[in-house]
Parts: sequence; C-alpha cells; structure tokens
Amino acid sequence: MDKKYVIAAAVGAVALAACLVGYIYTARKIPPDAPKKKRRPKKLWFMGLVISAWFLVGSLITGFSGKTGRLAIEFEMFSERVELFGFSIAKTTVTGAGVLIVLILLLAALRIFGISKFRMENPGYLQTALETAVDFIGNFVKNATGAFTMKNLPPFMLSIAIYMFGCALSELFGLRAPTSDLTFTLALGLCTFALLNIYGIKKNGFLGRLKNMGGAVPAMRPLMIPLKAVSDISVPVSLACRLYGNMMGGLLVMDLLKGVLGGYASGLPAIAGLWFNLIHPGIQIYIFVMLSLTFINEAMELEETPKKPKKQKIKN
Amino acid sequence: MNFIAAGIIMFAAVIGAGFGMCYATSKAVDAAARQPEAASKIQTILLLGCALAESTAIYAFVVSLIMATGG
Repeated sequence: MDKKYVIAAAVGAVALAACLVGYIYTARKIPPDAPKKKRRPKKLWFMGLVISAWFLVGSLITGFSGKTGRLAIEFEMFSERVELFGFSIAKTTVTGAGVLIVLILLLAALRIFGISKFRMENPGYLQTALETAVDFIGNFVKNATGAFTMKNLPPFMLSIAIYMFGCALSELFGLRAPTSDLTFTLALGLCTFALLNIYGIKKNGFLGRLKNMGGAVPAMRPLMIPLKAVSDISVPVSLACRLYGNMMGGLLVMDLLKGVLGGYASGLPAIAGLWFNLIHPGIQIYIFVMLSLTFINEAMELEETPKKPKKQKIKN
Repeated sequence: MNFIAAGIIMFAAVIGAGFGMCYATSKAVDAAARQPEAASKIQTILLLGCALAESTAIYAFVVSLIMATGG
C-alpha cells in the first residue's frame, strides 16, 4: 500500500469521526419540530459525513487495488468477438440473446402466475398497471397512424420498447449494451423499413404505394418516385445511427467517469448511471417508436389528385 | 491528425444542432404559454423536432468516432 493513500485514509477516518460526533451533538440539540432554518447545521454535518465516508472508502480501494485515476479508455466501434459453436459471434449479440431469454422467462412467469389471476372486478395493482400500459400504447399508435394498424402494430412496438429497455438495463451489470452496437440498431431500423413498405402496400396496393411515393401531381411522378425511394432508404440508416450514437455517447461518458475517478468511483457512477442507463434510454426508446410510427404513417397516406376547379356561374 | 479532424467535426455540428434545438424549444415555450391546454400536443411535436435536430449532431458524433478510432 502506498504511503500517500494511508495518509488519505487516515484523514478520511478522522473527518468521518469528527462529522459523526458533530452530527450526533447537533441532532440532540435540535428539537424534532424545529423550523427548516434551524435544521441546517444537522444537514451540513450529514453532508460532511457522507463526503468523508466516500473519501475513506475511495482511498482504501485505491490503496489496496492500486487503480489510480487515469484515463485509459479502450474504445472499439464494434464489439469484441467470441468463438461459440464454431462461429465467431459478437459479444453484444450474445448479450442480446441473454436479455431476450431473461425477458421471455419473466414474461412467461407473468403470464402463468400473474395474468391467470386477473379478475374483472377488483383489479389489483399489477392488472391496473398492465392495462394502463396496453391502453397507452394502443392510443399512441392509433393517434399516430390511424385505426388501420391497430391490430398488429401496438404489440410489436411495445415488445420492441421492452426489449430495448432490457438491453439498456444490461449495461448496469457491466456488459456492453446491445443497443450500443451498430448492427443491432440497424436490424431494428430494417424492421421499421419492412413494416413501412408492408403497411403501405397492404393499405393502398402496389400502385397505391407508387402513387404515395410520387405525390399528388401525376406529371411529376417519374421525377418524384426515385427521390422518395432514396429518402425511404435513408430511414433505417437514420434510425440506426441515431440510436447507436445516443447509446454510445452514454456508454462513453460512463467510461470516462470511471476512468477519471479510478478507485474513488464508489457510488458516484451509480448516480450518473441513473440518468445514462435509465432515463436517457427511455427518452430514446420513446423517440424511436414515435419516429417509426411517423414514417409508417407517411408511407400510408394517399394525397388526392387535385381536380381542375369547375367554372361556377355567379348569380347576380 | 485524426483527433483534430474529429474535434472540428464535432465543433461544427454541435453549434448547428444546439442552435436548432434552442430555437425549437423557445417556439414551443411560446406556444405553450399562449395556449396551455395544447401543451401535451406541443410536447410531442417538440420531442419529434428535437430528435430530428439532434440527429445531425449524432451523425457527426458517429463519424468522428469512426475517424478517431482510425477506421
């Protein structure tokens, strides 16, 4: 153990003891029904307690493990590969499959033990929560794309959202999240691209889809269709790059934080991870689902060809 | 040299995306203050617009990652 960290740990221990004594002393002095302004010294002592405990733990960990705060980020665009059954498979693919298995087991347990006990009268907390979620996604899809897609699209969107959230949570276990791999997000984008074409053709027929791509004016269609085709092909690329960039950014910031703090990274990355692993992926999933629905709706819309205005007789 | 290029890319892209998002948000606040009952609809449109504006910066981020890792 380095001499520097022994001194740091001793300082931390002394500060911890001092803050503990101060906290107990002031807590005894202040009556429990005192106004907010008089409680301030107690809070200050408590903050000192937490900070000195963090310092003590951090210097002990740094001293024993020898991991000082140094920036050494090993970043790779694509994930590492492992040999599995004779194939070379990316680690994120394995993680994604693992997340899928865990989610399927959880949902099967929910189906067997939870949903079989649901009743029409006196719904419990779980039933109300599930019904609210299903209602929410149904209304969301209906508002975005209309009643035509109501049968198949809401379950797909909800399951994609759950899968992506599970992938984001897998980062909490120290794995590289599958959503921060370009191949995974590109697969999701291609799903949206396929759905966009399937629903466009299903609703209006093949010629209707061409009409939708060409726009309202018939004379402009030969020019517009190739342009619209290019912009449709860019849909999966833009969806994939958006999700990948956001998730990769979160991963890199977390890695930077751990790299800078070194041994003192006890507790602090958990607070930052609340944002970068829970709330930020939630927002991105919402945006992904909303953009997919917007693109699907755009592919189904059929503008009517404007007719020449008839001459109206004006009566005097 | 690659790192300098990545830095320049991010510098240029973040200015544009930041300005676009700031403009969209200010207009959304104006609209919500004028018509508070439409706030939820405005929020949806704002999120969509912000995602589209943000995506330019994200593309630049991906490109700069590729350049910085020498890909």
